[in-house]
Amino acid sequence: MKGFRRWMLLAMSLTLGVVLAAGCGKKPQVVTETPPPQTEVQPEPSAPVEPTPAPAPTIDYADLAPGEYGIEDVFFAYDVSTLTEAAMAVLDKNARIMNEHPQVNYLVEGHCDERGTIEYNLALGEKRAKSVVNYLVSLGVAPARLRVVSYGEEHPFTQGHDESAWAANRRAHFAKP
Amino acid sequence: MRRISPAISHAALALVPIALLLCTQAHAQSDVVLQAEQTATRKLDIRVDRVAAPAGGAAAAADLVGRVIVADLRNSGFFRVGGALAGEGEDLPFSFAITGELAGDPPATGGGGAPSLTLRLQAMPGGEMVLGKRYAPASGQLRATAHHFVDEIVRLLTGESGVNLTRIVFSRGQGDRRDLWVVDYDGENLARLTANRTLNLCPSWSPDGQHIAFTSYAAGQQGVFLLETKSGKVRRVIAAAGLNLGPVWHPQQQELLLSLSKDGDPEIYRIDLQGRVLRRLTMSPAIEIGPDWSPNGRDLVFTSDRTGSPQLYVMDGDGAARSRLTYEGEYNDAGVWSPNGEQVAYVTRIGNRTFLVLISSGGENRRLLTDESWRHAEDPSWAPDGRHLVFSSDRSGVFKLYVLDVVDGTWRQLTAGREEDITPSWSR
Repeated sequence: MKGFRRWMLLAMSLTLGVVLAAGCGKKPQVVTETPPPQTEVQPEPSAPVEPTPAPAPTIDYADLAPGEYGIEDVFFAYDVSTLTEAAMAVLDKNARIMNEHPQVNYLVEGHCDERGTIEYNLALGEKRAKSVVNYLVSLGVAPARLRVVSYGEEHPFTQGHDESAWAANRRAHFAKP
Repeated sequence: MRRISPAISHAALALVPIALLLCTQAHAQSDVVLQAEQTATRKLDIRVDRVAAPAGGAAAAADLVGRVIVADLRNSGFFRVGGALAGEGEDLPFSFAITGELAGDPPATGGGGAPSLTLRLQAMPGGEMVLGKRYAPASGQLRATAHHFVDEIVRLLTGESGVNLTRIVFSRGQGDRRDLWVVDYDGENLARLTANRTLNLCPSWSPDGQHIAFTSYAAGQQGVFLLETKSGKVRRVIAAAGLNLGPVWHPQQQELLLSLSKDGDPEIYRIDLQGRVLRRLTMSPAIEIGPDWSPNGRDLVFTSDRTGSPQLYVMDGDGAARSRLTYEGEYNDAGVWSPNGEQVAYVTRIGNRTFLVLISSGGENRRLLTDESWRHAEDPSWAPDGRHLVFSSDRSGVFKLYVLDVVDGTWRQLTAGREEDITPSWSR
């Protein structure tokens, strides 16, 4: 079947080519030809004659941002540092990934929305980061792998003065230490 | 009032008046102070005349002196200012007038002749001289000279220390970079103090103006650092694990009060300038931050959320005798004790806005100092006169610094620009 369809297509295109060529032949015209743009000519990459097996990729996860291999930030409700059900579900997954890469350390950054005072938000940010660390430790992540820093409201992820911006900024963010 | 080390900006302040002219202060002073006391809430009408000077560079210098005097008098809150330089009519029944002359080569021209600036305060309508000063200002000292003269006037007429030679240090920047900057009390001589590409926050002047303590992320985590104002040198005091937050100076001793979370949650500590803990003052599973000494160095106000929301408390310097200061509102923080010890200014959050509040140190007479128009009003710091607060507000869309007169409610914008200015500290 496949061979037949290919043959048919070839036959049809040949026929079309003959028809077009015949049409041109009847009335010769002066045709201004535009040379094809040079840039379209791309050298074909030469295929390896003997494909050697590529070396197994060695990814150093410590060089990657944690977000690049599935570790996600968690978000908090207004003015609290307790973990929501959704946050715990994310941390369950994060802990599994972290335990697959026991040589990698993490910086857990605590962040707040802009409402409230500078110092209190720095304290609240730390409290959030520490509640994340405590939960991860309870899931078997070694405490020595997790360092905490609070940026309070100083380092917002989203600019803006509405609930969507605030919600995006109330988070614990995972970074390279 | 102690003066600030001159080295940060070029305005050196060797302001010893070289002669006191025809001093009639002895009897005039008591009368005048009495008069000022009677009009504590009413402003004194004062006329500022042009400072006389020969034409040329001296005229420009004399004009500068006059304008600084007008601004200082207005900023003090005690005066209504008239006269040609104030842009107001001369028909007020002035109580006082300021006159003066600039002679010799003005400092700006770098000429060889010794400049001499004579300034007088005269009681009106008679014109008797109440205060007379002759200065020999060096290059770059004209502003400081005018500031000094108005400080003398304020002290003479009101009995209060002037703030014209004080400065404000603050944090300016955006995102993960904020640097410390310093500016004169009137918004002049803005200068940057740090450039370390990280977050520098919560600066606090030492009482003698020689050092600024601040929180910085210079080592990737918070630490407390000390900047020597004369040399610009910075050294680390402490970088304990966790928060090293909001250092403030003891009013008399060489030690800092701050919040450390090295043992879990933030607690308040007294440390020496080498970072050694002198005393831990709080011990609770709550957030305890934002301490500030009373001016006598015996008690301190601080924030704790031990009840579930941040509130202000007072305790003594050993951590004993705690009492709660604020009950109204669900979020009270950033308490700062007024220089006379009678009041505490702080920040309260109502809805999504923050407001400045004033309360007596006994917890009575609570009143809001700012309204909705200020959007978020935060980070109050007292001027040494106990009358003015510098604070941050995003009323313009971006946080800038403002100075509020808590007696008459007038205010002025201190800093401008697109970057955020926060956590100011007013020098003593």
